[in-house]
Amino acid sequence: MKRRTTITKTLAGIGAAFCFCFFATQVSAVSVKHLKAPDDAADCYTCHQKVTPRVAQNWYESKHGVALMKCFVCHGQPDGKGSIPFAVVPDARSVCRKCHEPAMLRMEKKFGIDPNCYACHPFHQNSMHHDAYKKSISKKE
Amino acid sequence: MKVTRREVLKTAAAASALAAIGGPLTTVAKAADNEPEYWVKSVCRFCGTGCGVMVGIKGRKVVTVKGDPNNHNSGFLCLKGALMPPIVYSKDRVTKPYIRKNGKLEPASWDEAMSLVASKFKASIRDHGPTSVAYYGSGQALTEESYLANKIWKAGLGSNNVEGNPRLCMASAVGGYVTTFGKDEPCGSYDDIDSATCFFIIGSNMSECHPILFKRVAARKQADPTVKVIVVDPRKTNTARIADEHVPFKPGTDLAILNSMAYVIIQEELDNQRFHNKYVTFMTNDKQKVDFDAYMKFLEDYTPEKAEKISGVPADQIRRIALMFAEASATTSFWCMGLNQRIRGVWANNLVSNLHLLTGHIGKTGASPFSLTGQPNACGGVRDTGSLCHLLPAGRLIKKPEHRAKLEEQWGLKPGTIAPKPGLHTIALWNAFSEAKVKAMFVVCSNPAHSLPNVNIYLEGMKRKDNFMVLSEPFMDAETVKYCDVLLPAAFWCEKRGTYGCSERRYSLLMKSVEPMGECKPDFDILMDFAKRMDVDPKVIPFETIDDVWNEWREVSSVTPYNFMGITRARMEKESGILWPCPTEDHPGTKIRYVRGQDPNIPKDYKNKYHFYGKKDGRAVIWFRPYKGAAEEPDADYPMVLTTGRVIDHWHTGTMTMKVPELRRSFPKAYVEVNVEDAKAKGIKNGDDVILETRRDTMTFQARVSDVCRPGLVFVPWYDANLLINKLTLNAFDKGSKQPEYKICAIRIKKA
Repeated sequence: MKRRTTITKTLAGIGAAFCFCFFATQVSAVSVKHLKAPDDAADCYTCHQKVTPRVAQNWYESKHGVALMKCFVCHGQPDGKGSIPFAVVPDARSVCRKCHEPAMLRMEKKFGIDPNCYACHPFHQNSMHHDAYKKSISKKE
Repeated sequence: MKVTRREVLKTAAAASALAAIGGPLTTVAKAADNEPEYWVKSVCRFCGTGCGVMVGIKGRKVVTVKGDPNNHNSGFLCLKGALMPPIVYSKDRVTKPYIRKNGKLEPASWDEAMSLVASKFKASIRDHGPTSVAYYGSGQALTEESYLANKIWKAGLGSNNVEGNPRLCMASAVGGYVTTFGKDEPCGSYDDIDSATCFFIIGSNMSECHPILFKRVAARKQADPTVKVIVVDPRKTNTARIADEHVPFKPGTDLAILNSMAYVIIQEELDNQRFHNKYVTFMTNDKQKVDFDAYMKFLEDYTPEKAEKISGVPADQIRRIALMFAEASATTSFWCMGLNQRIRGVWANNLVSNLHLLTGHIGKTGASPFSLTGQPNACGGVRDTGSLCHLLPAGRLIKKPEHRAKLEEQWGLKPGTIAPKPGLHTIALWNAFSEAKVKAMFVVCSNPAHSLPNVNIYLEGMKRKDNFMVLSEPFMDAETVKYCDVLLPAAFWCEKRGTYGCSERRYSLLMKSVEPMGECKPDFDILMDFAKRMDVDPKVIPFETIDDVWNEWREVSSVTPYNFMGITRARMEKESGILWPCPTEDHPGTKIRYVRGQDPNIPKDYKNKYHFYGKKDGRAVIWFRPYKGAAEEPDADYPMVLTTGRVIDHWHTGTMTMKVPELRRSFPKAYVEVNVEDAKAKGIKNGDDVILETRRDTMTFQARVSDVCRPGLVFVPWYDANLLINKLTLNAFDKGSKQPEYKICAIRIKKA
């Protein structure tokens, strides 16, 4: 029981810190921070389903979610010790490129260099030019 | 506060712009630091999908990867593939040779280690004959390495004891294809996904085990929602998310379902009579040729109602999926370990092909019975090169004198060089090693102390002092390292050059990207050194470089239906994978086999459109394979079923994926997946410790309670070296393929 309470508290804390830092990043562009998650915290989705349910649901119903391209592939690890740097908005040139370089090159050819893929392609919600794989619950809200 | 979509996008764009200017500065700086100086073409190190990868190099080190846009994966990678670089520089890399002294591995020189290996193998052959030595290889070794080892053992040492982990992974698929079509390997290609209108996925969690292929299936379904997806699996996996029909059957009863589908197809007059009249032989289980009427009679035991009683699947659902399969304009089936790792694995494979032959969903774009393979080079490296105890390269069999003679002639060796008796298959081999009847074992690129079923008995065998095991392995924390007598530091993935052949008969070149770490050597160098020290006839190993091996293998293939003479090294360097058969340098490769005009093995003026040339009469076989249960069915003492498998984050024994921080944290340890109903009945809650007990051992796992498993079934992933689920699994095997039944054994569980 004690363990459960601790986990719940940790989840809440992580969520609060993440949300704070996410918006803080948008406003002041400070480095991204995230409360330390325990080593056995399982995948990000387990916590974020509870603390940022809308973001988690968006991802789950997106192409990335269907294909199980999990949070850490693009966002890195909160402790900064992952294979890629931790970032709320992944760097297109180093992250998106791993899979989407052909599309990025096409876009570059059409519109000039714009590494800000997210502006037109919110990666939790598929391309805005297409419907999601299935209509997302969160989009209906 | 309500935020519109436009506002969200604007805010995100602003955040992104800020991030680019002053924003997480460290992030951007680090990303720029890792901008590669150049890219080297390679193939992913993980599953049998065989995605093309470009390795980014900076300062002579691997800094990143991206998908190869010119390979079948069109630039996409799955999460494991995208996170490979940290594995190369793991602190757990074996960087020098070791010899076990007084129970501890002590550093040694290459010469000391290889001298000891050669002396042990020589002594074993001298005292106990050539069959006392064995090679245990891998579907992850390069094609050239497997071909070379196979040749050294079978032609150089006189031992047919050549086996490897592909026996545990795809032997039943080989048995299925060979008995049905006369030749191994799928007849279609991944391109079929783009035009199939129905997908029949059985015994495969594609989403987690072959993610890029699943992505392609999902994209097909997204592009055309009328495309049907049937997922037949006792677990409701992520693959089932896109299914029109998910069929959660009682484990082990899929043979009844497949026969029942055939029954429905015929009853509904949806069979393609013109096709099966002309191109199919109906054959009973005891190999008697019979007619279509006999097949109908055989199927009467599998009406949907009868199959429902066996499988627990409603008769109506069996009818629905049978109609979906047959009525589609092009159906492609995918299957993997769920059918292969079974004591009726070959039969299950046959029964899927039966449905394709019955309906004519074969030999046309989008229609193919396609076996998925678990490892990146099980097909190209082991199946094609014949690196198993009963095979010779290019589908030849040891037991056939004419096959041995032809190969001896091609290899320029005197007649009778290859011993006529097949060697020991994997389970028999490890049994013999455990009893010290096989005295010396050379293990390359495999982790049998983790991956063998009922592994306790083999661990005891590996501990013996009167047998000898040398292991060539890149990672110090691989379970088998604990038991080997000599440990050799193997070069890893991008540190060497060679070929991988994936599930679709595609051969791609892995170009060397960086120098091997420390004293590591490619297995090609290690095997050549070994062969020379063993005084193997120089005619057996006329190779200076790994490309020499490839060129000899091309020549050997050229007189067989595998013919890939046209896949030269120059082409491989330029192109991102070519599908065999490919007889000439101007041949584009073959997407569809057994069809005139597509398959170069069939003359352009051949009288019929289809020709199953693996069979003497040119006809494929519809087999009458009855439903029979698992080797260890649940009973009063052990009332539930244990099945094992993968999670998307980890691959095989975790020696690679556990080196990636993200993947390790995602699934740090194995767990047991329990159905909510079973959990409720036993008072088990999410996170509780649960005791799992089979007739072989008892272990404790943390519970994940969900509706993924059907009631009565529990699932445990097998990657975790600290929780070796193979202590509980069963080593019963298919009589035909000799592949063990990992997927089903009886178990009882209780809350700890």
